[in-house]
Amino acid sequence: MTTKDRLLRERTRRRFLFTGLHLLLYFSFSLNWTSWGGFLAERLGATYLSGAIVMFAVLVVLFIVLESVFLWLSQREERS
Amino acid sequence: MMFALLHRVVVGLLALVALPAFGAGAIEGEVARQPLNQTAIVMFLLFVVATLFITWRASKATTTSSTFYNAGGQITGAQNGMAIAGDFMSAASFLGITGLMFIGGFDGLILSLGAFGAWPVLMFLFAKRVRNLGSFTFIDVISQRLDRNPIRLVTAFSTIVIVVMYLIAQMVGAGKLIQLLFGLPYELALVIVSGLVLGYVAFGGMLATTWVQIIKAILLLTGVTLIALLLLTKLDFSFSALLKQATENHPKGEAILSSGVIFNDPIQILTIQISMLFGTVGLPHILMRLFTVPDMRQAKLSAYYASLFIGYFYIALLVLGFGAIALVYNTPAFFDSNGALIGGSNMAAIHVASAVGGDVLTGFMSAVCFATILAVVAGLTLSGAAAISHDVYAEVLKQGKPDPATELRLTRISVFLIGLAAVLLGIAFQNENVAFIATIPMVVSASVTFPMLLLSLFWSGFTTRGAIGGALVGLVSSIVLIVLGPQVWVSVLGNEQALFPYDYPALFTMPLSFMVMFFLSMADNSKRAQVDKENYRALEWRAEFGNAPEGEGSA
Repeated sequence: MTTKDRLLRERTRRRFLFTGLHLLLYFSFSLNWTSWGGFLAERLGATYLSGAIVMFAVLVVLFIVLESVFLWLSQREERS
Repeated sequence: MMFALLHRVVVGLLALVALPAFGAGAIEGEVARQPLNQTAIVMFLLFVVATLFITWRASKATTTSSTFYNAGGQITGAQNGMAIAGDFMSAASFLGITGLMFIGGFDGLILSLGAFGAWPVLMFLFAKRVRNLGSFTFIDVISQRLDRNPIRLVTAFSTIVIVVMYLIAQMVGAGKLIQLLFGLPYELALVIVSGLVLGYVAFGGMLATTWVQIIKAILLLTGVTLIALLLLTKLDFSFSALLKQATENHPKGEAILSSGVIFNDPIQILTIQISMLFGTVGLPHILMRLFTVPDMRQAKLSAYYASLFIGYFYIALLVLGFGAIALVYNTPAFFDSNGALIGGSNMAAIHVASAVGGDVLTGFMSAVCFATILAVVAGLTLSGAAAISHDVYAEVLKQGKPDPATELRLTRISVFLIGLAAVLLGIAFQNENVAFIATIPMVVSASVTFPMLLLSLFWSGFTTRGAIGGALVGLVSSIVLIVLGPQVWVSVLGNEQALFPYDYPALFTMPLSFMVMFFLSMADNSKRAQVDKENYRALEWRAEFGNAPEGEGSA
């Protein structure tokens, strides 16, 4: 196996790792419609923000963070 | 009775917003034509003048197939990201999601997240590899290692199914939306949409389409930002205060802050999530945008920038959706004498614009919605024309050696025919319930395009036989289950109960398609299968590094 073959496998693993993480987060949103996610219906302290609404905003941000990390890792690898 | 009514509303809204382009379901049947909106028309004319000027400039550069299909690969990552966002952030998202939140609060957000979730997957799995392997369409990628003629025919067929269904939904929705927003007659609206799109695409190709989408994305983002800011200004920039006011106005009270007002079934949520995520990733006109950038790095950046813009858009819609509840519910001027919201729930977003920004902002947002339709239809038309002229004519009939001038001429003829078909089908379906038509593209894309693309890029054992068998099973099962589901079996055919309980069957059809592809490929011992498997290493190298290993150049 050549260095490039190893690099290729590493990149493929990374692609699936990030995709897996993303899908885990993405489908966790469906918790809101199950009994396990009952706590998400609660309001946060005295505010009218519910756990469900916060989860939505956090997931959007997390998806972008995941992409940023992926992009950063790719660029770092290309530079080296 | 109440459930049936709610079901129709939800089905309609789903069909509208579950598309990254403008679907039609929410605006079904008779629509009350509104008075002529002069502000909206003036603003829209400004948009048309600007985009036609760009098209005229672009037409001078559009002299070859390459510049026609992919703008010569000279669009930067940031520009392309904005254009992808313009292709994706639709009138459907803006009007439909806000409308769904207006009815059910938090439940409407499932569609926002569903649509947004596709972009990271596109970036992680496909952006770089697809860009490195294709030239004009995603079919270029799949056909590199598999038997090109049958694969191109099957995938071109599925692309055309997606594009035509999408276009019907678009045109019916566009006609009715324009009746509502501008007060123009339905048929005239279709002719205007089709005529402008023909102008953009036939003369300016991908370059003009890209700039139409970029301008539209900027306008839409500006509009939603303005509305969100003006909404928050009324409540001292407190989102919690906005939610409080929303719960006080909505009949369901604090229930709108969490799930359960519209959707109760977790399986239904999963079907929506799967259809929207994997359906979006496999849409041909979205994938086609990856070829407009010069290299693989810019392709990845395209997907990243698209995520940033689209993510921002959906966060803004969070404010707009709850803002609509907070402001519109307690304003009698937005309701007719029967107590129904004027124009239906999809007009909630326009009413919010009216509530916070008066006639000028209403006119601006109406013009943006019209521009949005043009941008999306332009992308779709280009994608359909490329499937016919590039994938079928140039690659199958001419075996990859077409006369460039003939290919370009055929592309323009295809654009014209697709435009004509769009108007005729739009008129033919104007009084039909087209919600199911709007569902088909997402489910077919998730069940045919996505599995084929994923397996051809990441599985060495994938064979032509597996690809064709799985694609056909995915296509047929998608259409059969949609017909047996509530949208056709109950809403269109008038039966009491659906034979299949879900509107979006991708939760079942996508795994089925994967399984057929897997087992047929595993059982395939043909000579062609050997070639397909041997081609994989060279393809994988080219996908990642841009060139094949030494001595393994042919695929």
